[in-house]
Amino acid sequence: MSTVGTALNRNKEKTTATLTEMCSVRVGPTMFGMPISHILEIVGSARPQPVPLAPGFVGGLVHYRGDVLTTVSLRQLLGLPPKDGPQDILVLENAGGCFGVLVDSVGEVLTVSSVDHEPNPSILDERRRALFAGAYKLKEGLLVMLDPMRLDPMRLGAARVA
Amino acid sequence: MDELTREFLIESQEGLDRMERCLTDLEGRPNDMGLLGEIFRSVHTIKGTTGFLGFKRLEKLAHAGENLLGLLRDGKLSANAPIITGLLQLLDGLRSILRSIETEASEGEGDDTVLIDRIKDLQVPSQAQTPVKAQEQAVQAQAVASASAVLGPVPTAAAPPPPGPKASETVAEPVAAAPVASQHVPAAPEAEHEHIKATVQAGSAAESTLRVDVTLLNRMMNLVGELVLTRNQVLQATASDPNMTMLSRRLDMVTADLRESVMKARMQPVSNIFSKMPRIVRDLSQTLGRRVRLQVEGQDTELDKSLLEAIKDPLTHAVRNSLDHGIESPDVRQAAGKDPEGTLKLRAAQEGSHVIIEVSDDGAGIPVEKVRQKAIERGLITAERASQLAERELLQLIFLPGFSTAAAVTNVSGRGVGMDVVRTNVEKIGGKVEIDSRPGKGTTLRLRIPLTLAIIPALIVRSVNQSFALPQGALSELVHIPPAQAATAIEWIEDAPLYRLRGKLLPLVFLDRLLVPDGERREVTDRDNFIAVLDAEGRRFGLVVDGLADPEEIVVKPLSSVLKDIGLYSGATVLGNADLALILDPGSIAMKAGIALVAEEENAPAAVGEDENAEAAKGLEYLLVEVSDRQAAVPLADVLRIEQLPVSRIEYIGYRPVLNFEGQLLPVEDTGGVLASVQSDPEAQIIVVVCREGNRHVGIAVSHVLDVAAGGDLFEAGAGQRASGVTLLKNRVTGVVDLGGVAPLPAQENAPMELSSVE
Repeated sequence: MSTVGTALNRNKEKTTATLTEMCSVRVGPTMFGMPISHILEIVGSARPQPVPLAPGFVGGLVHYRGDVLTTVSLRQLLGLPPKDGPQDILVLENAGGCFGVLVDSVGEVLTVSSVDHEPNPSILDERRRALFAGAYKLKEGLLVMLDPMRLDPMRLGAARVA
Repeated sequence: MDELTREFLIESQEGLDRMERCLTDLEGRPNDMGLLGEIFRSVHTIKGTTGFLGFKRLEKLAHAGENLLGLLRDGKLSANAPIITGLLQLLDGLRSILRSIETEASEGEGDDTVLIDRIKDLQVPSQAQTPVKAQEQAVQAQAVASASAVLGPVPTAAAPPPPGPKASETVAEPVAAAPVASQHVPAAPEAEHEHIKATVQAGSAAESTLRVDVTLLNRMMNLVGELVLTRNQVLQATASDPNMTMLSRRLDMVTADLRESVMKARMQPVSNIFSKMPRIVRDLSQTLGRRVRLQVEGQDTELDKSLLEAIKDPLTHAVRNSLDHGIESPDVRQAAGKDPEGTLKLRAAQEGSHVIIEVSDDGAGIPVEKVRQKAIERGLITAERASQLAERELLQLIFLPGFSTAAAVTNVSGRGVGMDVVRTNVEKIGGKVEIDSRPGKGTTLRLRIPLTLAIIPALIVRSVNQSFALPQGALSELVHIPPAQAATAIEWIEDAPLYRLRGKLLPLVFLDRLLVPDGERREVTDRDNFIAVLDAEGRRFGLVVDGLADPEEIVVKPLSSVLKDIGLYSGATVLGNADLALILDPGSIAMKAGIALVAEEENAPAAVGEDENAEAAKGLEYLLVEVSDRQAAVPLADVLRIEQLPVSRIEYIGYRPVLNFEGQLLPVEDTGGVLASVQSDPEAQIIVVVCREGNRHVGIAVSHVLDVAAGGDLFEAGAGQRASGVTLLKNRVTGVVDLGGVAPLPAQENAPMELSSVE
């Protein structure tokens, strides 16, 4: 990960800090992007163990490098029906360690420019406005930016209680 | 905080711990030069380093103490009780500043002049009149310091301070300090000798030991756990490949060794907490006017660091209790014909996979009558019910919340903590507390602590199509109710499911209904029901699950706070088949399901099996089995599980019957000839009771499992000695199976590979 990080930094220096490398992921019909500098690892085709009585956004537990990782399910967060079969997991870091984000599938890495970025449109519902951090207008379509901070289960848990 | 300060804090705290130990010892041996030297060094090192780091307040206080200690070390003063008290106060003062540095990175605003003056006053030998005020004395000491070569040998009342300050002010290096000090102090050459020797020893100890961050150890433990899991999978995957057998067996061995070493690295001797006790005993016995002798046994017994931390408060509380309520004042003791000096005994010993820690006193014991009254007064139990309880049961009432008069719960020193908190704290780490008291003879509190927290034995249960791990510490027995019997065996009062366990109503909690409250309800008659009878923090209930798997040693992994907040799970684990399982927390489940504490529960008029219950309190519980028409008993605590299997599963090494259980060999004891009697019929089912014996497992072949009952002690006529090997079960004398007598398998043959099946 650190190599990617430095590569990214070098990029930034050269191009006046406007390009970001995004890992594209698909959840339902939408393409999302997560800055790759925030991703520790991608775990393919996992089957998380459900946790009865857990808050709705929790996608279950997976075994990750000797630890038990709590995952956040984007489908459940967005109110989409659960997906059958294995899902991919983005492993992210938070204050308390790591957590996973469950997505349908992980796509390629795209380089996006801040010139193409626009904030969340007002027609999105409140829940989505809170989760998304705007979108990039690409040739292939819109890439909705995900903010890793907003997906932190601790934060989601606190928001749920409040 | 920078590395240097952190290092300083750790070193100083260790130094002060050492000093505390020495101070309490010093009371008994006031002229022990070694002790005085050690104490002096602790304070001196702190002073030296603080000057360097710029902690002025700390330096001033340490300096004052050093002066006094210098006099003591040089034999100019002898350590009496007020001096030791003063030094203990100094110790507390230093500790509180260190604590403030640790938490706030500054020394804090406190004023130490009172303490410093006190220490200065102590420097004047009590028989001599104080010729100068403390203030002047300090000035003088400084003046003297520059001219100590002249003043040093003059033995006037004002003179004592010089050698100390001179020695330490000029040189901060502890190694160099000793020779300088001795120059002025020809009276104590042995002190110098001691010092140099100790310095050399400290040097060599530092080379062979290393300070390691606990988080690193935790991480190592975690990785070893991971390795264990990977090994299990490798073993399964390579079982059929003969070329891999040697390799995977080697992996198996190395992993086991590694796991043991890492666990050992986390172990610390109980002396780490025992050593705090002399001070507590000293202070308390002075305040309470008791005379107490502290005996400590088994200091070297080791326990996982986190567990040691966890039992510190309960243990401190137990010691306080013994002094406060146990040991009587000297005149009362004398009147009762006892030694006016009471004895408080701390004992630690390892028993199998547990460490037993006992706090016993030879005091008045717990007045059972008072306990009964107080429990009734506080509404913990009805008068009617109280009159039916046996003494031993009444004693257990002191563990109920609300029994203690204390209001506050979280005081570090243990003050104001009731016995219920002692129990909760110990049970939280999978331990158990027992109390035993005899009026006039004394009280013994016994803590049973598992060796390690990171790996615990658990029963794997199934519910809502998932596996869950149930810690075995809370599990007392399992009951199977087949679908056909479920309609009658499980009874209901409105919505509350109940089961009659040996005549007594046991509240039931259906795990599936608890976990998926609005899921579709399967009827109990549609499926097998397994009731796990649990005792958790004083709450007794049956947890109904759909299925049972094998017990496993599980590696506990922490959960994220979001999931911890659900309150039902204490962690998660990875099972041998690489599945994840959540670890159920029986205490929280009981609370969530509204299971009341046992004593309240017993207020219910439902208690039918009263006699049996009273009997249960008397002795150990046994599993009553039938072996070829004879009855025999197996201590229930040793029973791991009961297996029913076809007799064809039994294989033989030579003439010895063994059971190949998932690659592990279990020697099967068949003294009753159960196996022989069914040998002709390969379809026949036999029952094997799997027991724990030391650190191995053995199986006992039996014809039937009859019941669980409490055994009564039997005494040999005339001898008055407890007869061993027999017990009184249901009013019949029953032989107890001697598990230790089951011969171990030959070591070389203890591998699946060399197993030859001779039928």
